[in-house]
Amino acid sequence: MKKQGLWSLRLSTAALVLIPTAVGINYIGKLFAGLLKLPLWLDSIGTVLASILAGPIVGALSGAINNVIYGLTADPISFIYGITSLAIGLAAGILFYKGWISSWSKAIVAGLMIGLVAAIISTPLNIGFWGGQTGNVWGDALYATVLANTHATWLASFLDEIVVDLPDKLIVVLISFGIFKGLPKNVVQLYNTNNKVENLD
Amino acid sequence: MRSISLYTERNTVIHAMDPISKLFYILFALLIPIILPSIKVSIVCVVLGLIFLLVARVFKKTIPVFSFVFLILLTVIIIQGLFRPGNQTTLFHFGPFTLYKEGLMFAFGVAFRVINIVSAFMILILTTKPSDLVESLVRKGLSSKIGYVIISVFQIIPEMMSSMETITDAQRSRGMETEGNLQTRMKAFLPLLGPVILGSLANTKERAMALEVRGFNSKGPKTYLLEEKKYRYSKVVQWGILLGIACALAWRILV
Repeated sequence: MKKQGLWSLRLSTAALVLIPTAVGINYIGKLFAGLLKLPLWLDSIGTVLASILAGPIVGALSGAINNVIYGLTADPISFIYGITSLAIGLAAGILFYKGWISSWSKAIVAGLMIGLVAAIISTPLNIGFWGGQTGNVWGDALYATVLANTHATWLASFLDEIVVDLPDKLIVVLISFGIFKGLPKNVVQLYNTNNKVENLD
Repeated sequence: MRSISLYTERNTVIHAMDPISKLFYILFALLIPIILPSIKVSIVCVVLGLIFLLVARVFKKTIPVFSFVFLILLTVIIIQGLFRPGNQTTLFHFGPFTLYKEGLMFAFGVAFRVINIVSAFMILILTTKPSDLVESLVRKGLSSKIGYVIISVFQIIPEMMSSMETITDAQRSRGMETEGNLQTRMKAFLPLLGPVILGSLANTKERAMALEVRGFNSKGPKTYLLEEKKYRYSKVVQWGILLGIACALAWRILV
């Protein structure tokens, strides 16, 4: 069977319905992480899952809409970080399509790469908006230390972002891959837009 | 079922405004401090935003959001005041640390910009029903499918939250620990989240079929369930805001 095109823009109803579910999964992930007082965000599981299931376009849409919803319900600043979420969705979709998320060991590498992408996109936003900080206690402590010793705002800000993003996205990708492997086949098949319809007339 | 939206029902002038006009105001609040980067302009914008929030009688509702923002801004002020490169003018010492004027001024600039943007968004969020906002946008040309997606998130999240509560109770009754050291809490994450995610993904199939059956993908022109709301003075307000931005630009170039 030929693989469906990577940039296929045909949004099937199934793929569209996946987007709100992905946003919901992100929301619940963040809620649980807060409830269990985990030191990570874990708020992009849905985005990564949507990218794996339905490709980078749906993943990117899920990421962007996720931040719009966050902005409308909790924290207006997350509108701006929609760009980061969009990039996470794109990166995860492309990596999966290229076969980079097909085993646990590969998923670790992919998780680190997605974390790197997220950090690269977020750093200019952090600098422009907050003067370089992220709001995460551990990251900001590192930021202050690096800034005091090197006077390099960009380096300090990048390190601030990456100490949080790398482990966070790594765990997100591993959880998403685990869930994807556990999904029943009929759910996975739902998003395969290459299914041919045979006409019997 | 509780709602996740921050919308607060009031009967004020701001509530009766067109959601699109509120989007224009956000654009205004974003652009003006960029066009005229002086701290006085930022203060004027912040005061303007706060006045609108007071007029809309939703100021109390902004406190949780603002207190979260203030916490981060406090660390910005401390870190920039102490360590910002280019710090020269000493303000005062405490212990081994020195607070500098340049870093502090920079941090105040950041603080005003953030408060300004947050209050502009709060005006939109607290005084507009999400469904009204999406409907206005769809009427202005946003894809109705994207409109559906955004609206349905507001239905799906409360649904998932209640199934999350059920699952948490079920797992606890089986003796799963959700409190304790970090390792215990980490281990609890997957058994709690897994069933919610699997269940919701399985639900998408039924949702998709239900939509297809109702002609979600049909090509014909779509109609609206609700009559279009009439907002007064929309055009005046929107052109006024654009004129304000144009004036700011002219000021920047000429003066």
